Amino acid sequence: MELLPVLEKALFGGIAAAGFGVLFNVTPRLLIWCGAAGALTLAVRTLCQQLGVNFEGASFAAAFAVSAAWHLLQSRKDISSVALHVVGCIPMVPGSFAARAILGLFAVSTGRTENSPQTLVAALEYTLRLIFTVGAIGTGLAIPGLLKRVRRTP
Amino acid sequence: MPDSSLEPLAILALDAGRILMEAGASASSIEELVEKVALGLGAESTELRIGYASLALTVFQDGHGITRMRRVGHIGVNMRLAQEVSRFAGRVAAREISIDKARTELDRLAAATPRYPPWIAAIAVGIACAAFGQLLDGDWYGAGPIFIASTAGQYFRHTLLAHRVNVYLCVTVISLFSCVIGGLGALWLGSQAITTATIASVLFLVPGVPAVNAQTDILEGHPTLGNARAVNVLMTLIFMAAGIWVAPMLLNFGR
Repeated sequence: MELLPVLEKALFGGIAAAGFGVLFNVTPRLLIWCGAAGALTLAVRTLCQQLGVNFEGASFAAAFAVSAAWHLLQSRKDISSVALHVVGCIPMVPGSFAARAILGLFAVSTGRTENSPQTLVAALEYTLRLIFTVGAIGTGLAIPGLLKRVRRTP
Repeated sequence: MPDSSLEPLAILALDAGRILMEAGASASSIEELVEKVALGLGAESTELRIGYASLALTVFQDGHGITRMRRVGHIGVNMRLAQEVSRFAGRVAAREISIDKARTELDRLAAATPRYPPWIAAIAVGIACAAFGQLLDGDWYGAGPIFIASTAGQYFRHTLLAHRVNVYLCVTVISLFSCVIGGLGALWLGSQAITTATIASVLFLVPGVPAVNAQTDILEGHPTLGNARAVNVLMTLIFMAAGIWVAPMLLNFGR
């Protein structure tokens, strides 16, 4: 296991999440928590990938981890009233897959691509990875909250 | 309680829910908040229907019930406002404030909750997108152009939205604008990852929070709203990709 790539990804994940925290109008005092959430997700995802888990599975684990951490900190009123776990997952949303998938489909539809089958397969691959990754992130974020409700139900 | 007394209660609870929805909250948060406000103001029970463009609420008290509906405006993300409205709902639920004071307080929150100045938000977006570039394994030559392209793009987006330009049209225009700046800048500086720089420059347009909310809503039993959000996300991505698609053709910097 290599620690440097984990730290590097965590650093950039934290910066990205804090930047998006400003865009989402998170209060200045909570921006550090946005950064921490982003760093945690990217660290968990990178660690899981190093352990041989695929990208989608690693994204699920990271989303689950940040959501569970957020639910564990519910006693802190300032943190519980802001969806910091969602902001933390923003750096994992595979926007580049989305762009590459749609661009690939555009390219195939023009009929001018020399390698249409390859382009189509690549576009399909990006589309599927986008769907599975977004699905993994959404499910990972939701499960801790759903489990908490099960525990509360008498 | 006669229907006329239920009226301000229902409208206030709906307005609180509408503000929370426009601030980017998930359906279950809205449901919880509307119920909290209505019960805190004296209702016995509530039924809420959450649509993408409207909220409808029925409140019951002393054997009477009324149903009211509110239109939902543009759905963005404003976490400070969501936080303030949640605190407001807590005070109402604790019966700390009367309905008149609650109305004044909610109107004040909607109008006066501070936002970061547009230039600060733009710089933060630039830094975030430059970090995205590194997460996508881009090189350092591309980081500067990504920062400049996304900072300028976010500021431009704020200006266009302030002039009420259609949201999807705005996404295509900004995507094209940021791609051209990011791609040309990376090319000029000798980056080996021009495509990554181009794509990272527009990642601030990806609707991440709605994408997550869409799923959360479906998982928590609101498939109609979840699907509407998902379609909105898809449309935004298509319009964003259209901008990325046109940029190289326009400049002929080669794909």
